[in-house]
Amino acid sequence: MSPPSSPPTPQDGQPLPAPPGPSSSNLGALRRILPYIPALIPLAITVAIVLVLVQATHFENFGRSFWSFNAAQNGILIYVVGSFLTSVPALALAMGIGLAVAIASAVYMPGWLASWTDPFVDLLSGIPSIVYGLWGYFVVAPYFKADVYPWTTTYLAWIPGFAANRTSPSGTGASVMLAIVILFLMILPVTTLLMRDALRSIPKDLWESGLALGATRWEVTRRVSIPYCRRGIWGAAFLGFGRAMGETVAVFMVIGQIPRLPTNIYDNTSTMASLIIAEVDTAFEKSSVGYQTLHFLAELGLVLMGISLAVNVAGRWLIRRTFTEVAGV
Amino acid sequence: MSGTALAAPALAASDDLRRDRSGGVWRRTWFDRIVGWALPLTVLVAVIPILDLAYWICVRALPSFTLATLTTNPSGAGGGLYAPLVGTLEILLLATTTAVAFGLIGGLVTAEYLDEAGAGVVRVTANVMAGIPSIIVGLFGFLAFVLAFGWGASLAAAGVTLGVFMTPYVFRATDLAYASIPPHIREAALGSGARPIQYLLRVATPIALPQVLSGVFLAMAIGVGETAPLYLTTSAAAIPPSGLFVPAGALSLYIWEDFQNPLPGAVHIAFEAAFLLLVIVVGLNVLVRLIGQRARRRLEGLFQ
Amino acid sequence: MSGAAPVPSGPVVAVEKLSVTARGNRKLLDGIDLDFAPRSLTAIVGPSGCGKTTFVRSLNRMTELTPGLRIDGRVLYLGQNIYGRSVNPVVVRRRMGMVFQRPTVFPMSVFENAAFGLRLVRASEDEVDSAVTEALQRAGLWEEVRANLDGPALALSGGQQQRLCIARALAVRPRVLLLDEPTSALDPAATQRVEATLQRLKEEIVLILVTHNVAQAARVSDRIAFLHSGRLVEVGATGEILERPREPLTMQFITGRV
Repeated sequence: MSPPSSPPTPQDGQPLPAPPGPSSSNLGALRRILPYIPALIPLAITVAIVLVLVQATHFENFGRSFWSFNAAQNGILIYVVGSFLTSVPALALAMGIGLAVAIASAVYMPGWLASWTDPFVDLLSGIPSIVYGLWGYFVVAPYFKADVYPWTTTYLAWIPGFAANRTSPSGTGASVMLAIVILFLMILPVTTLLMRDALRSIPKDLWESGLALGATRWEVTRRVSIPYCRRGIWGAAFLGFGRAMGETVAVFMVIGQIPRLPTNIYDNTSTMASLIIAEVDTAFEKSSVGYQTLHFLAELGLVLMGISLAVNVAGRWLIRRTFTEVAGV
Repeated sequence: MSGTALAAPALAASDDLRRDRSGGVWRRTWFDRIVGWALPLTVLVAVIPILDLAYWICVRALPSFTLATLTTNPSGAGGGLYAPLVGTLEILLLATTTAVAFGLIGGLVTAEYLDEAGAGVVRVTANVMAGIPSIIVGLFGFLAFVLAFGWGASLAAAGVTLGVFMTPYVFRATDLAYASIPPHIREAALGSGARPIQYLLRVATPIALPQVLSGVFLAMAIGVGETAPLYLTTSAAAIPPSGLFVPAGALSLYIWEDFQNPLPGAVHIAFEAAFLLLVIVVGLNVLVRLIGQRARRRLEGLFQ
Repeated sequence: MSGAAPVPSGPVVAVEKLSVTARGNRKLLDGIDLDFAPRSLTAIVGPSGCGKTTFVRSLNRMTELTPGLRIDGRVLYLGQNIYGRSVNPVVVRRRMGMVFQRPTVFPMSVFENAAFGLRLVRASEDEVDSAVTEALQRAGLWEEVRANLDGPALALSGGQQQRLCIARALAVRPRVLLLDEPTSALDPAATQRVEATLQRLKEEIVLILVTHNVAQAARVSDRIAFLHSGRLVEVGATGEILERPREPLTMQFITGRV
């Protein structure tokens, strides 16, 4: 058991000693500050993105009509609700199934089996959004329409939102439910990977001392491992949620893209991200009042970016370390 | 009690390993076993969709997929995918160049030249940037490059925008690669009289390079499938780009443009493009895995 | 959870021809025969890599967690082979507690740590309360933590954490406690307290202490078993082994030459 099981944390980043020679204090200060110029490029780009978006807004638009359900007057609340309505259930599914897969892989599967199934989960995250969308639109949507919706309306109608009062308006099978399922599949690898890494980082001693007390593997997992990984699990939830909120083209293709509040899970709606891509065509058109749509999209983009930044900062703070390069989580 | 004849005749129930059923041992053990069988089955939730997706993309793309698909330009709702394929590769080349230019040096100095507190802050910013949705980056590219810089919908705007999106992945991979070199290697190198720059070029870089490369390939795999940033910064041109400032088509754009096109040939084009895209993405991911595994094994060797 | 049954007359644990083989036919343990009488503290000593840890881990079937190990021979607990068919390792491990090299407290309160084994079997609150108090007293930790039972266990010092681990193992009233170098991560003062606890406990149950430290074995044990390359070289009363070892290897080890 020689190498550490988790990637080494960045070690003491002492600056390299300056080569011997005459070095005034000015030069020393320069030496210390200079590396920050390339190191802060990500921050600079992030700030640039915010500034460009801010500059493209019309601040007077951030008024009452902006924070309303009136889509015709560029109210955004329908899209905010649409985003949450799809992302939250997708996240709940991805956390539940993700935890099950992570426990299976980290606790129950023999190593050789896990090394066969893990790549499937990783690969799931590599599939481009647009391919998910295509598959969802042409394969899953007709299947849902023909087989799944009749079943759920018959047997699950007691769940609020599952009873059908009309069929999916677009007639293609696109629906809130389909968007949730596709989003779930897209963020499943994110949550699974992060939780799997957290579970694998449990010290061997701690795991064994649970078993040595006469606990079963399940009992140690539930009573020791999961409390031990609490932060990592919350971090996975935040990062998965950020992913789901930002998903654009796949959601557009399976949600029906109609700006209205859904009345049940077979209905169509729209999300913030999918609206941006849907409206870009009109953004190119300069009307008599200038790039009106463009201002709106920049404003909507700022709201979306604010949410994803908040969620990501929280998630990163909880996880502290980046374990996972695969899948770019 | 048959097998325990050697023991004292009066073995208390709590000392009898076989008869002991206290505290629901039987129930607890069986529950654990059932969980052990049931939980691995949940992996099917990930495996079945991926197989189904691969199956349907192949079934709908391959019958019409010929060599001509790769060598002819699209025309109307038919033709091949030569232009978008070339466009994808050119956009990806430009994007990778941009991302490496922005991310590589930054990641390197973060790992090698910043103190712990500074590096911590920088890492947070890189992680936060990695969380910006691609549609936002696309909107930024549209506002900045297409409109403000006046590049129009073009290869340049698409490449740089996608490069901005890929930057944090390259940055983090480089940082991680250099930061995970064990400290004793650096101490040994500097202790034996190597100058810092010699350590960096002759010792650290050969160790870190495979991991950096695998990070770059990963960024490419993530970038190549992106649609939203490209849709906002270029358009689905039917011929390969003749310069930086003309539109360049891309595979993902063709899927996007064609999936709702009622003409019968259009859907074929979409599936063929999806098939090509999947091949590229899976190929890049396999590359990431192979290089990453070798890099890890080498790094583990250094810890012994 | 009634009190422990009367102490039996014969050995509590009897090891018969125990061999543990790793992949590639590498013998980690080779034909060990050793008995453990009630109320005793046996120190297992030997150079690192001699199989001490493997030995105690095979007494409560922890060796099964390492893939690829083959176990031959028998380990009898009150005359019953713990490796026998239809013997559940969960049951075995409740009878033989284990303490590890580093303190392994769980991320929960002091009280819940000590109550862990009892919660598994859904003991009543009264049972849990009395068993936890008793276990903390037996581990010599009660006075230090009684005011702060609901505080996080990770806030305790290293020595306190290790005694909490002992209390956690004692709370399910095992007859045997296996200790795998329990003081190797502790400072001298904390080590002394753990040793005092062990000396009290050996009046009650069977203690099997793995240590690489001959001085510690001399301080606390009644009996020393010396392992070398997976074989039991010599076993005898502590005083005799230290003063008049029969085997030259033992002599070399206790004088620090192996």
